Amino acid sequence: MTHVITGACIGAKHKELSCTEICPMNCIHGTASDEIFYIDPEECIDCGACVPACPREAIFPEGKVPEKWQGFVQINADYFKNKK
Amino acid sequence: MATNLNPRTYRIVGTQRQIDERETPHPRADRGELGERIRLGRKNRHSSDALRRTIVANRDIVKERAVNPQRTPVSDPAAMARTIKEAARFFGAAVVGITHLDQAYVYSHRAKDDGNGNKAGDPIKLTHKYAICMGFAGDFERYMACNSMISAAEYEMGHRQEMLGTSLLATFIRELGYPAQTHGHGGYVLNPIPLAVNAGLGELGRHGMLIHEEYGSRLHLSVVTTDLPLAVDEPVDMGVEEVCKVCMKCAQTCPTYSIPFGDKVVVNGVEKWAIDVDSCYKGRITAGGEFMVCLICTTSCCYHKRSSWWHTLAGWMLIRIPIPLRTLYIKPLLFLDDLIWGKKPWLQMQWMGYDNAPSPVTCSIPGCIAKHKPLEQKPLHKVPKKTIK
Repeated sequence: MTHVITGACIGAKHKELSCTEICPMNCIHGTASDEIFYIDPEECIDCGACVPACPREAIFPEGKVPEKWQGFVQINADYFKNKK
Repeated sequence: MATNLNPRTYRIVGTQRQIDERETPHPRADRGELGERIRLGRKNRHSSDALRRTIVANRDIVKERAVNPQRTPVSDPAAMARTIKEAARFFGAAVVGITHLDQAYVYSHRAKDDGNGNKAGDPIKLTHKYAICMGFAGDFERYMACNSMISAAEYEMGHRQEMLGTSLLATFIRELGYPAQTHGHGGYVLNPIPLAVNAGLGELGRHGMLIHEEYGSRLHLSVVTTDLPLAVDEPVDMGVEEVCKVCMKCAQTCPTYSIPFGDKVVVNGVEKWAIDVDSCYKGRITAGGEFMVCLICTTSCCYHKRSSWWHTLAGWMLIRIPIPLRTLYIKPLLFLDDLIWGKKPWLQMQWMGYDNAPSPVTCSIPGCIAKHKPLEQKPLHKVPKKTIK
């Protein structure tokens, strides 16, 4: 299990870095050209600290991602392929 | 060779030769040069006294000794409890209490082989009547270097001291002629925390650990279970219930968000504050890049203070205030605690060549703009509004 950043983050990423700041594993990443931040599913310990820190309510546990954002589970995981 | 030494208590007046170890008393006694009586006396490891046998004869402290068949009769369990507590303190425990062994806190099955023929998965049968609960205190300052090699060294050294003291107490009880089993680092078949609460060592805190009025949570807990007749202690009221309701410093500082802000919940038939064990454990194992001990909740606890008259006085007054009024007393104290010790107590220090200054986080993702920070610099979690009382 991991937590997932969803489409609600789009447009907010560059203003709000609160999730990346509070994550104890420092496993939330993103570059200036990315639409959102991404959670590395291999590093995430599922603590949920990022959930209340997100002002956009864009972060969910993998098992509770709303239907319309389901695609972001794979998007988060795919982001880290070939990056490490 | 140093030539300018000039100690006041001896004076070098000639040429010195190195001493042959064989000239020292023990080897001479072993060779019989000091007489047959001394040679035999040197070999003798027997004593009529249980404490003497425990300290002198039992050099191999880890090995479980057999129970002495000559049982010391116990006519006064209260007096024996006092003796056992004094022995525990002598063996290094900072605090000790005794309670009945509640089977609810004995594990049902073993997780690993114990080296004495019991295999992983075997049911646990522990029928001892009493649990002697001990707490071995860590060093205040080195704990304050939390999440570093300094605090990790202190924490692990505490395990070593706890193993020694616990093993010696069990040996002492066996030498008195009663069965005893150690439950310490690397060999628990029970949960020591509720037993320690029942034995009056302290109270259960929001962070899921025992809080002692003087040492806070920097205690390594261990237990010796036995059938030696003992008087038992009662749980204590230190005011932790009221303090933990309003303090929440541990919940705010826990990097892995594992400590609840909310009310108690029922877990396995017990109503208590319940931490997220998995995220705590996973964070602790991997957050530092290697096995580490976080200890941030321990040091952020407002009971974690140096031994001092003002700390003792604050606790002394708290338990004398009627329960409904305690919050009025606690809130100003917590304000002062934040003011003096900080919202996130932590000390930067150098010790034995180590420096616990936080290391910058290196990110493996090219071009990453995230605000990565070491645990020491993580922001506090906000207290949810609905839990503020």
